[in-house]
Amino acid sequence: MTAARDLARILGLWRSRAGWLTVGALVAAASALAGLALLALAGSGVSQGLATGTLAAGAASLILMRPLILLRPLLRWAERMATHEATFRALADTRTWFFRRLSERLSAGPGLNRSGDLLGRLVSDVEALDGLYLRALVPMAAAASVVLAVAVILGGLSPALAAIVAIPLALALLLPVLVAPFAARAASRNAAATGALRAEAVEPLIAMEDILAANAEPRALAKLEAAADRMDGERRRLARAGSLGAASGTLLTQAALLGALAWGLAGGGAGAGAVVVALFLVLAAMDALGALPRAGAALALAAAGARRLLEAADQPIPVPDPPASATPSGHAIAIRGLSFTWAPDRSPVFDNLSLDLPEGARIALLGPSGAGKSTLAALLLKLAAPQEGVITLGGADYTTLSADTVRARIACLTQDATLFDDTIAANLRLAAPDAPDPALWDALERARIADLVRALPDGLETRCGEAGARFSGGQARRIALARALLSPASVIILDEPTAGLDAATERAFLETLDTALAGRSAILITHRLIGVERPTRILRIAGGQALPAMS
Amino acid sequence: MPPILLGLAATGCGIAQAWLLATLLAALLGLGEAGWGSLAAAAGLALLQVALGVAQESASARAGEAARATLRRRLFGRLLAETPASRPAGEGAALAVDRIEAMDGYFARWIPAAALAVTAPLAVALSAAAADMLSGVILLAAGMLVPVGMALSGIGAAVASRRQFDALQQLSGRFLDRMRGLPTLVLFRRQEAEARALDAAAQELRARTMRVLRLAFLSTGILELIAAAVLGCLAWRHGNLAVAGHPAPVAALFCLLLVPAFFAPFRAFSVAYHERMSAQGAAAALAPILAEPGPAGLLLEEVPPSVTLVVDHLTHRPDPARPMALEDVSFRVLPGETLVLSGPSGSGKSTLLKLLMGFSTPDSGRIALNGRDALALAPPERRRLIAYLPQRPVLLRGTIRENIRLARPEADDAAVEAAARAAQVTAFADDLPQGLDTPVGEGGHGLSGGQRVRVALARAFLRDAPLVLLDEPTAHLDPATEAEVLDSLRRLCTGRTAVIASHSAALRARFSRVLELREGRVVPQRRAATP
Repeated sequence: MTAARDLARILGLWRSRAGWLTVGALVAAASALAGLALLALAGSGVSQGLATGTLAAGAASLILMRPLILLRPLLRWAERMATHEATFRALADTRTWFFRRLSERLSAGPGLNRSGDLLGRLVSDVEALDGLYLRALVPMAAAASVVLAVAVILGGLSPALAAIVAIPLALALLLPVLVAPFAARAASRNAAATGALRAEAVEPLIAMEDILAANAEPRALAKLEAAADRMDGERRRLARAGSLGAASGTLLTQAALLGALAWGLAGGGAGAGAVVVALFLVLAAMDALGALPRAGAALALAAAGARRLLEAADQPIPVPDPPASATPSGHAIAIRGLSFTWAPDRSPVFDNLSLDLPEGARIALLGPSGAGKSTLAALLLKLAAPQEGVITLGGADYTTLSADTVRARIACLTQDATLFDDTIAANLRLAAPDAPDPALWDALERARIADLVRALPDGLETRCGEAGARFSGGQARRIALARALLSPASVIILDEPTAGLDAATERAFLETLDTALAGRSAILITHRLIGVERPTRILRIAGGQALPAMS
Repeated sequence: MPPILLGLAATGCGIAQAWLLATLLAALLGLGEAGWGSLAAAAGLALLQVALGVAQESASARAGEAARATLRRRLFGRLLAETPASRPAGEGAALAVDRIEAMDGYFARWIPAAALAVTAPLAVALSAAAADMLSGVILLAAGMLVPVGMALSGIGAAVASRRQFDALQQLSGRFLDRMRGLPTLVLFRRQEAEARALDAAAQELRARTMRVLRLAFLSTGILELIAAAVLGCLAWRHGNLAVAGHPAPVAALFCLLLVPAFFAPFRAFSVAYHERMSAQGAAAALAPILAEPGPAGLLLEEVPPSVTLVVDHLTHRPDPARPMALEDVSFRVLPGETLVLSGPSGSGKSTLLKLLMGFSTPDSGRIALNGRDALALAPPERRRLIAYLPQRPVLLRGTIRENIRLARPEADDAAVEAAARAAQVTAFADDLPQGLDTPVGEGGHGLSGGQRVRVALARAFLRDAPLVLLDEPTAHLDPATEAEVLDSLRRLCTGRTAVIASHSAALRARFSRVLELREGRVVPQRRAATP
């Protein structure tokens, strides 16, 4: 019963919202009972009047109705407000929880997950969870209270009639649980199909230039439509389960209704009063019970959403943190006997690599693309852990350091450093949240991009666009470089800092590398040196090892 | 139409059943004659009603499906005709998925519910009037009040609903943006701060949504109030009539039994009304995109074997707040010629290539291919002539082979492998256990930056088009690989018309013609002698 376990875990996440969730369910039950009372009182009042020909018999019922006429709409409104408030609070919590889990697990990028699919999990699967409370638990609570009330009221009048009416209604209460497994397969396929549809929509939009260049628009559209067809097919199946559930629900309430009348006919008018009450009670209960078959489908959808969320959130953490982090003394880095491979079936990137980066040193790391230069950066940033060998920072073994401790001391300009769809200032302040404007300008200056930013009408407040799309490749790269330089870390790894820069800018940046680094240790990863970098050591990565390069 | 007729038929069944129930109830109270026959008939009607309900539901779903498919196809076509990167991908996906789904309720439920909310209560009220005139009038009057109450609360809600949709879309865009840059956030240890910011955005969205719902739910409250009041009026009237010996006891019970049936279509309408408002919000966002004229232009009869490219006084300023991206740029490239665009980053090299690709339309100037105005061709038709390498090529999720084949799906394996060899893809793919069939993640996960560029370059080789446009083909390559790629590039450009934007000195050394750009303008220089 993974579905039940998943849903229980989601409910566990919502524990802090238990107050709102309970209030919502209670108000829903009260509102359903008010509706039940209203129709039952009206029906029995009139029937008693008709049967006896006097007002006195029915008057009590009719007078009791009056406050309910106002109370029922109020309760109904309050029910919807309270249940929605509770749901939204719980869902916002879930979304943030999911983001935190992913940031621990996907720190090296979405990997083979599609970002569109992940987005789908964040948005629509989380939303499917609202069905768990709003469309399953709340209607079930309301319906259960109504069925209980019907059983108690009729039980006082005639136990036999109570049984005839309450048993089919109680069976209808079970419908969600009966429909759910039936709908579960369609629901999980539907969730997967919706995720696939979103991925098919996101991918061509992210890779739009590539798609257009290949005249692949019709192919992208065909894939999108195929995904949509699959989704519609699953949804049709889901709807069929829902409408069959609805049909059985109606049949059960009709059985209660007609059963009560049959009981009356068989008794020959003896229990007429009780039958009248039963009839109107069932009629009123239909309103509350009508939502139940849908609750089954909602339950199944929520379970499918929960499964997909938990699947992504439960991936193993690539490099788990030690329980408590040691504190490095200083920031000298030493690597001894390092061996690493990304996957067991891939050839090793490093084989017994050793390397030293004393404080204040500047190492230039050369090597052909694919030799593992960027992998070394990933290992130093604790994005991956070596299979063999030791890395130490300030004398402390990496395995005793938390990723946060390491990343507070080592900043990196990665090859795929991203600019966010926010202002230049906000993008820079990722590295140093409290940096004043002059510090930002200083970093931009050092990255040789200050002049361009100054020329923009909005200056530092210019928005960068998604993934820095509003700037040219070289400009975006230099803003990312400024961000890395702004970081207060004492070690800076620059992975191809000048890729995409023209020769003059490249030379100007590298010549002033001294001022830019301001005494910090640095690892400069590059394809080639142009002669102005003045590194303290030059190493070449080849064959999985770092060898001194001929200068 | 079928959902509406099925719904009306179900209402008819409900009315007939209410009458049977009323006679049975009256008989039990000793006020008439009815027996097992009526009960059996009521049971039959119940079965019929259930069947009609199931049929109505599936008919509605089919209507929604068809309408959404048409909309989605048109919308996605338009999105792909926009300038690349002019709209965040997350937003585009939200339009193509969420907004289109939001339209589902409109076609599947709103249209039938709206029609039934007028016709079904009318049928019920008329039946009630036939039994007891005043009861019918009470129901009719209540029916008139319902739309008034709904309109009062609905107008404010419609405005708020549109705003809420914008908020949802922004949140969605933000999630995708941050998710794509998650590694950067993590490296700067900002993931916790970002999680808190996302939480704040979600809370803000909740506050907005609740504001919409407060009004929207008011209409539910008003509906319940009217329903309760009608029940009270009818109970009071028939209770009072009963004192003097009710003239038509069956009619009294019939009218009471009809109340739930009378209000059911309104309840469905009220639920669907919220869907209509969501749909309206969605439609407001979709309409401007769908209203854009479709990609027009002439079609290409066939791809010519060679192309002469003439660019004449091209000027472009995509963002009025920023300086000119290109100003008065003119040049000509003949078949067999390669023009290298150089100049500092931001000088307009990529902009020029994108204009040539037809990603956007220049403000003024002319692009001619073989003497014909290229701007008159539909952009996708123009691209059939071109092999293009974008500055930041994106690999799709799939194998390396599939990624290369994107450029020419009908290419056979031998052609794909030849292109992979020419772009030096095989140089690293041969070391992978699955070779060219190695899967790569979205965005090229699993490959280094230089490897991704080479895969994208292989697409350009496979494309086999007369005009070659390359944006930084050797960035991220080490000198040895660059030298090999340059050899293949020479072969690629031989006999074709080529424009290459590059900073690389090695690349410029291989090709004689250089056009230098600075701040969007051509830097005048001595023309190098043609080799």
